[in-house]
Amino acid sequence: MRRLSYLLVGLLGAAALLFCAEDAAERMKKLEKLIDPDTAEVLKRINAVDAYTVPDLKLRREENFAKTASDIEPYSGVKPYKENFLLQIEYTGPGRAIPEPGPELKTVKIGFIGPIQNLPSVATGGMGHEAALGRMMLKGAQMAIDEANEGGGYLRRGIPFELKVVNDNGLWGSSGNEITNMVYKDPVWAILGTIDGANSHIAIRVALKGEVLMMNSGDTDPTFTETNIPWTARCIGDDRQMGYLMADYLFRKAGYKRVALIRSSNRFGRFGIREVRDTARRLGRPVLIEMAYKVGAEDLSMQVERLQATNPDAVVHWGDARESAIVLNTMRKLGMKQPFFTNDRTVSEEFTKLAGENAEGVISAYPWDPSRKDAKLDAFRERFRKKFGEEPETYAAHGYDGMNMLIWATQVGGLNKAKIRDLIAYRTKPWPGVTGDIPLSSTLDDLGDVFLAKFENGKWGFHSREEWQIPGGYIPPRSRVARALETAAAAPQK
Amino acid sequence: MMRTRTILAKFAALAPLLAALLLGTCWVQAQATKKLPYIYTQWKNFGVADGLPSDHIFSVKADGDRVWIGTEGGLAMYNKKTGKMKSWTTKDGLPWPAITGIDIDKSTGDVWLALFGGGIARFSGGRFDHYHQLNSGLVNDVVYGIAVEHDNIWAATTAGASRYNKVSGEWTIFTEKNAPMEEIWNYNVSYNGAGTVYLAVWGSGVLEYKISDGSWKEYLDPDGEMEIDLYRDDGIVQVITTAVAPAGDGFFVSTYFGASRYDGRHWRGYYNLDSGVPSDFINSVKARSTDEAWFSTDKGLGVLTDFDSNTWVSYRMDPKTHHGKATVYKDREVLEEVETETGIPHNYVIYAELDGNDVWIATSKGLSWGKGSDYYPRLRDRGVVSGNLAAALPAAAKGGE
Repeated sequence: MRRLSYLLVGLLGAAALLFCAEDAAERMKKLEKLIDPDTAEVLKRINAVDAYTVPDLKLRREENFAKTASDIEPYSGVKPYKENFLLQIEYTGPGRAIPEPGPELKTVKIGFIGPIQNLPSVATGGMGHEAALGRMMLKGAQMAIDEANEGGGYLRRGIPFELKVVNDNGLWGSSGNEITNMVYKDPVWAILGTIDGANSHIAIRVALKGEVLMMNSGDTDPTFTETNIPWTARCIGDDRQMGYLMADYLFRKAGYKRVALIRSSNRFGRFGIREVRDTARRLGRPVLIEMAYKVGAEDLSMQVERLQATNPDAVVHWGDARESAIVLNTMRKLGMKQPFFTNDRTVSEEFTKLAGENAEGVISAYPWDPSRKDAKLDAFRERFRKKFGEEPETYAAHGYDGMNMLIWATQVGGLNKAKIRDLIAYRTKPWPGVTGDIPLSSTLDDLGDVFLAKFENGKWGFHSREEWQIPGGYIPPRSRVARALETAAAAPQK
Repeated sequence: MMRTRTILAKFAALAPLLAALLLGTCWVQAQATKKLPYIYTQWKNFGVADGLPSDHIFSVKADGDRVWIGTEGGLAMYNKKTGKMKSWTTKDGLPWPAITGIDIDKSTGDVWLALFGGGIARFSGGRFDHYHQLNSGLVNDVVYGIAVEHDNIWAATTAGASRYNKVSGEWTIFTEKNAPMEEIWNYNVSYNGAGTVYLAVWGSGVLEYKISDGSWKEYLDPDGEMEIDLYRDDGIVQVITTAVAPAGDGFFVSTYFGASRYDGRHWRGYYNLDSGVPSDFINSVKARSTDEAWFSTDKGLGVLTDFDSNTWVSYRMDPKTHHGKATVYKDREVLEEVETETGIPHNYVIYAELDGNDVWIATSKGLSWGKGSDYYPRLRDRGVVSGNLAAALPAAAKGGE
């Protein structure tokens, strides 16, 4: 009887081993599919270095910063002494040599920081207002994690990914505290977050010293990646790209000469509208006025009356959906019939509900085209609806893409923060996201196409530069330091 | 006679050659001596095996025979006299493992620590006192730098600067509400010992605080643009500043885009393209004088040794041999390249501390003690050394450990 028991236990053990081996082989096959030949070469080179060596990999080099046309470059009449951001920043530290943790690891933690609960915020000077956006970003991120786990989890070990979620409430720079906790107290392998521009800046400085990659999918502040930190990347088009497209529409296509601006007084409004304002000035059509308001204000009639007094051709607003509707409704109430232009946050149900009929004709800058025909996007929407019972909007879609980029880098690079960073930093092809292709620039910013959204007949339509034939300025193929000043004048006319 | 004439004729034929040789020797001798800076050749390196809690070193502070070392995993103190290393981690009562800044209160001998995510701490009599957002007036727990000024302890935090008066117990917070901070992201703080506190503020350049009247002065990048530096010598090269090192009536300032020197009247910018700084990504700066500043970069250590002639020494370690390499530059021209048996332990340099004629170099993979026993400031006439210093100058190189 005892012999029979031993035999049974032995057989069961052997069966379990066989099952595990088959399972592991299956997972390795899945992993291999994630690695194309170019990625394999990157991986080979980053795996070849020790703590003292930097991998022999080509750095991204650009001749033109952020696809900026020569006639709207700052101080375009002067050759600058130095240009920044054209050459990718390396990580030269010893992190690639840190060994992977032992078998005691039960989950692979990826951090999420975003505004999921509204609390008082230093950044906005009042209650936080971005929780609705943050919660959608979280849903997108969670969905990516769940799908990875359904596909075998962390494939090298067959253990699940775990999303470590913290709230970014902005109170006295608490985003910094949260990131240090994710570095030292409850370590994660990479982090997705956040939305508020000021809090994102606080977070990336911690990521730099703590040496953990921060992928951003919701902060469109152009300066986020203009910091030379090798530990940041972004998977959403920024306000610089959206501002350039809007300004080209306003001044080069529509030919407006008298434009008035109004924005929120927080960092989002202040930095978001900057490219429209600066481009207007550089094209010889300085804006008439730039009004600011406090986030959360109910009555913006004083600010709008000031806009009205300048008799503008058009009004551009940069802020949240709610305030966008308040500005627009106030304009119409005061009899202002000027076209109303605004930013991506306006493309929301909240705006259309609050603005009602006034929403008709509004044009917003937008970081992607959610109306495009794409089986991958359709399938994502279907799964999202099934899982959460609602439509995924822009923060959910970008959160999904950003988290998938981190999961891919972790699967391929292994449990090493520097290698996870390298996989994103040296990625050879644009990321094929549900929001479209995401090509990373030398600052690891998303330089993919951006769009203009127009509210017509009760719905938003999305339009590319090509579709609306919006002219752009000449983008020189050589850096400012390397070319002659007269390049702009000598540029081919469009 | 004939024989003599033949010899003379032969000599005459050889004369141009001899003259050329003689001239050549003189030229070589003249070239062999140049005005050159001092090169640190004796380096002693420390890591976990030597008792450090972590190889990732953020900060160092020399205090007589004691050298305090802030790492990512705890605090250490090296005694130069005994050669002993002692360390403290969270198990020993240290409130938080990562220490990004250290300063000493000379009046009490207390050691003040900037804790990266944990507030600040005072180490006194073997006890750690912990100050954080929830038990004090510290504005944020992510602290990048700390400085003692008279009875005040200044902390540079990610959400403003805090000043603690250890006598009155009063806390003062400096943010955009009461200081010209366009952004409140303080990154470092230093006191010049003569009435001025400097804050390096990420996105807000340098802020100068006069203790006498509580006034502020801001130094920003005049062109105001992130993607370019329009003119090199018109002000700080970028507003994303990482540290300020007081020197004379002005300071040196480091950024992740280059560095600047200000003498109270004139500015001078430094980039890798026009100086011996190994990289424009500069983690911190320390100044020995208005002529000499030590820049810690992600690609080695860059030392401006003589302002007038723009002479630099860069120190790097060869990743393959782990030997040291010092290169002397005048502008970008290489004057001298010297190899040493030992050099800095890693090229990712985070911080430099000046300790009399010695230096302490914090890197992301170890700490190094550079001994400057025969140090001299600026430049001196001396022979050019090329190649391995161990062979050329054995006395100087033998100290490498």
